[in-house]
Amino acid sequence: MKWETMARGFLPVLGAGLLFGAAHAAAAPQHFERHFAVKGRPVVVIQNVANGRIEVKSSKNSEVVVAATQASNKINIDAEQAGERIDVTATITDNSGAANELEANFQLTVPEETELQLRTQTGLVYVEQVMGDMTLQSVAGDIHLKEVSGYIVVRTTGGSLVCTQCAGKLDFNSISGNAQVVQPGLTNVSLFTMSGNILFDGDFIRTGIYTMKSGKGTVEVHFSGNDSFDLKAQTATGTVDNQAEAYLKPDSHGVRHMASKFTKGLFGTVGTGLAKVELSSYSGTIRILKRD
Amino acid sequence: MQCKEVEVVLEQQGFVPVPEAARAHLAGCSSCQGLVADLTAIVATAHLLPAEVEPPLRVWTRLRAQLEEEGLIKGAKTRTAWRRRFSELFGARALATAGVGALVVAAVVLQMRPPASHPTEARNTYENYDDTSLTLSNDEAHLPSMQLAGSSKVDVALRQNLDIVDKFIVDCEQRIKEQPGDELARDYLTGAYQQKAELLSVMMERGGVY
Repeated sequence: MKWETMARGFLPVLGAGLLFGAAHAAAAPQHFERHFAVKGRPVVVIQNVANGRIEVKSSKNSEVVVAATQASNKINIDAEQAGERIDVTATITDNSGAANELEANFQLTVPEETELQLRTQTGLVYVEQVMGDMTLQSVAGDIHLKEVSGYIVVRTTGGSLVCTQCAGKLDFNSISGNAQVVQPGLTNVSLFTMSGNILFDGDFIRTGIYTMKSGKGTVEVHFSGNDSFDLKAQTATGTVDNQAEAYLKPDSHGVRHMASKFTKGLFGTVGTGLAKVELSSYSGTIRILKRD
Repeated sequence: MQCKEVEVVLEQQGFVPVPEAARAHLAGCSSCQGLVADLTAIVATAHLLPAEVEPPLRVWTRLRAQLEEEGLIKGAKTRTAWRRRFSELFGARALATAGVGALVVAAVVLQMRPPASHPTEARNTYENYDDTSLTLSNDEAHLPSMQLAGSSKVDVALRQNLDIVDKFIVDCEQRIKEQPGDELARDYLTGAYQQKAELLSVMMERGGVY
């Protein structure tokens, strides 16, 4: 009788304990790490259907290290190598999980010369000191690039771009994300956001072509006194705030530009007009100023 | 129902809304969901094409003569069979993917065209805009319920951005009605339509089809 009473009290506790244990195992973070030896310039592809951060840094080693932390076993991570291509995929195996259970964060270490194709839903994408073409896509996550070079393509829905000391070509397209380009060494820039703001703070390389467009946001350009570029700035219903009148001369190439009767425009040349800079905003402000 | 049968149903009955017969299969098949998303993007982009893309009859005549001369086709009788073989060569999915590429190029060409100088041409352009706007609105009305009710950060972000695009489109359309010659507004409107088509495609792919 006594044993029976004890069993009655003990069994529910044991059951609850087992249930808790199972739930805990499903929710417990899991670590994943793989090393892939490469010879030349690898191509690393990450397709993160789950949410999470992707961080990429370079090393002198000829290997790609993929480390990941997944919040629960409701996510499956696969990584495979085919020659110089490394493919990593994170998929959700159980959609019923809470948002914090459907996270997979990646840390990659790659050779300095590596091509990247990274895609995530939310969470920061951070790439530092990598040389190679890259395509970076995110819905709501921001994208931060530091000292990267190559043909850089960035697509976001609402995520913003911060590009510091980037070189090569940059193509950014977003609906509501901002774009901030600081100290660039870029020869070709195309930035488009529908409602975000754009800030370009750096030198215009001679022969470079720079196009920056925002539907409703501000487009702000800070140039240096040594720069040399032709400028065309246009807005349909916004304003052009020219704080560099002293540096902006009429076009020196003999082509007389005029804004259409439907737009407000500003045309001119800084220096000898070697680079080409086109700024536009449908209803926002275009601001041009010289750095101190 | 198999993927091939879904393709037939979509071909016969259209995909807006998704026919009842295909829904169960689509709900669990990412490949077919992708197909519907691609088709949606194609239709949206197709409405950006100008009416003038139809080549003159003499081009077709010359092309047919050339093909016959080279023995690639054998006159009018074999045309149907040739066309069928051509369509068999490309599966619906491959055609959809190729179509997206071709239409995006066409949309870019449209965007680069000089502003309409002739009243008829201008009217056609605005009709194209109307068609595009209507198609995209229809697509938006048929977004999967999961996408519209989702509370995840991504779902919320997608809906917020769709709202931004919609408001911007309304703004640009209003401007073009008032100032038909505003080329800058036309450029922005074309870009907004493209972004909306891409966004709807992402939302459909993410939310599944019901």
